[in-house]
Amino acid sequence: MASEPPSDGTPEPGERRLHPLSLVFVTVAIARALVVPALIGGVSAADGEMWRAFTWGLAILALPAIGFATARFLFFRYRIGADDLSLRSGVLHRRHRVIPLARVQNIEVRQSTLERLCGVAELHVETAGSGRKAEAVLSVLGRREAEALRDALLARRRAAPPAEEGPVAEPLAHLTPRELVVAGATANEAGVIAAALFGGFQLLEDLPFRLPERFADPRLLIPDLPLLGALLFGLGLLGLLLLLGWGVSVLGALIGYHDFTLERVGDALHKRYGLLARREASVPLSRVQALRVEESLLRRPLGLVSLQIATAGGTPGGRQRGGAEAFVPLARVGEVPRLVAGIFAGLDFGSLTFQPVHPRSVHRGFARFAFLLALPGAALALAIGPRGLLLLLLIGLALPLARWQFRNRGYALLPGYVVARSGVLNRVTWIVPEQKIQTLQLADSPFQRRHGLASLTVDTAAGGQQATVPDLGREQALELLRTLAGRGG
Amino acid sequence: MVQGGTARAGIVADVSPVVRRPDPRLIRLWQTEALLWAGAASVGVLALARLLDWGIRAWIAATVLALAGAACATLLPPARARAWSFEVGENEVRIRRGILWRTESVVLHSRIQHVDTRRGPLERAFGLASVVLFTAGSVGASIPIPGLLPAEAESLRDRLAALSDPGDGV
Repeated sequence: MASEPPSDGTPEPGERRLHPLSLVFVTVAIARALVVPALIGGVSAADGEMWRAFTWGLAILALPAIGFATARFLFFRYRIGADDLSLRSGVLHRRHRVIPLARVQNIEVRQSTLERLCGVAELHVETAGSGRKAEAVLSVLGRREAEALRDALLARRRAAPPAEEGPVAEPLAHLTPRELVVAGATANEAGVIAAALFGGFQLLEDLPFRLPERFADPRLLIPDLPLLGALLFGLGLLGLLLLLGWGVSVLGALIGYHDFTLERVGDALHKRYGLLARREASVPLSRVQALRVEESLLRRPLGLVSLQIATAGGTPGGRQRGGAEAFVPLARVGEVPRLVAGIFAGLDFGSLTFQPVHPRSVHRGFARFAFLLALPGAALALAIGPRGLLLLLLIGLALPLARWQFRNRGYALLPGYVVARSGVLNRVTWIVPEQKIQTLQLADSPFQRRHGLASLTVDTAAGGQQATVPDLGREQALELLRTLAGRGG
Repeated sequence: MVQGGTARAGIVADVSPVVRRPDPRLIRLWQTEALLWAGAASVGVLALARLLDWGIRAWIAATVLALAGAACATLLPPARARAWSFEVGENEVRIRRGILWRTESVVLHSRIQHVDTRRGPLERAFGLASVVLFTAGSVGASIPIPGLLPAEAESLRDRLAALSDPGDGV
């Protein structure tokens, strides 16, 4: 290919510039950004002198910004080729971006009112990359130029297959109020809400320091047992907060997920739920990047799970929490294979056998848990003296926890899918179709290396946490990496 | 770009004939960058000291910062450059990085969304460039490959853009 394009801004054949009015729009954008600080400064300034100084300051800031914007306009070039869209930009950081045309997912021509008046438009070209911002933003082009470019991009992309007509709704799940109460009662969020409530109280600041003094006074509570008094008080408070949080959680589930209904309609999932705010969301199955089955500490003994789907770039009307959203908030363990098959047709979840991770994972787990469990004891000992060391007995939990964690971990390979399972108190199972694997990350920390372990992360287009198989043996990890890399092509 | 004979012993036991390492100038680039940052931090501390009237403590803090910066500048970059390597395989690109916490990223050609070449001001000063792979992943949304010569960067970018000819992907 050609050598480095000239950095002085001279165009190559076929390259085009943005519309000159972009300068105006950038200036307008800067002005809009400065108006609010100017107003605030003006309102809060003590006297006219300060206000004048403030506005002069803003003007001085605006000048280099405008200068930079001009330079950026001069240095921006784009070209549409036979197979790709190429963009050159940047003043200090020269950037040359090549987007293969068939990677293009969304093309949007946008016009604000001002842009409409001036006869210009913005062109946003999105690929499947993490959708915070479109991968190519041409702001602004002449309206006709923008539309012509959009048509050219569409024409050279491979056409998508037409959507099906008249699909039949296949019901998947429905939640009764009683089930919703159970969902709310067993939700992990109860703990989070309690913690939030706890944080809201100012007591939080005083508690660790005031309590020992306050209850060292034998006249206040049970004499000769100041430590016990403090503990009882603390536990009582915690219990009250947990109860409050639990109540909020149950109410939230009853109202928020009222009449939850899930259906599969053609190649999309339709969800309907909510009492006060009624939500209807439609998720195309092709947007599903991964499926997550969570068996939380409270739910597992009851044989209940919750399922979430991870999508790329969010879905309309869905409540986003780090890329995964509720697919079925609550379901019985026995229903999982059917629900999984509802999304991943042909996947026989019930027939899975998991390969365990490396046994040395227990060693590493023990070290971590022992360290974590020693912290409360050490902290308490620092606060109230040697008696706090009693809390170090918690370390006895480290080995059982490490063993439990090891038993929860594992992976399985099915034709077309990889399944990863992990967790200590909450067991999480990820199901990722091989087609949705974007990158594979093999990582090890110095501690893992000492034990000959490594972790493999299966990266998808959905944000938030990714499926990870932790603490595989090094050879095991390499083998899995090779298999997945070999299959995904 | 320097051709490595054998892959660094570590996570991956595979030895590929075309494991490539960054240009040695990258080490000096990173060292310069670290020194600039240390210098800026020291100046910041001194300015703060002037404002808050610290005196001796400010000088000590600035000296400590400067020494720490110098230490990072000289010690870390060579190790970091040694730990960075990449190879373009038949089906995938593998990028390895990290001194203590090591990561190997595997990106199938079909999963590459687009490829950038990038030259920051320091890179231009040292005559280097980077290639950045963009995927639809979250952890691996953008993966940089630094320490390339500009011509290498251009050709790698074009090669990867061509290899990523889609049919699969998201």
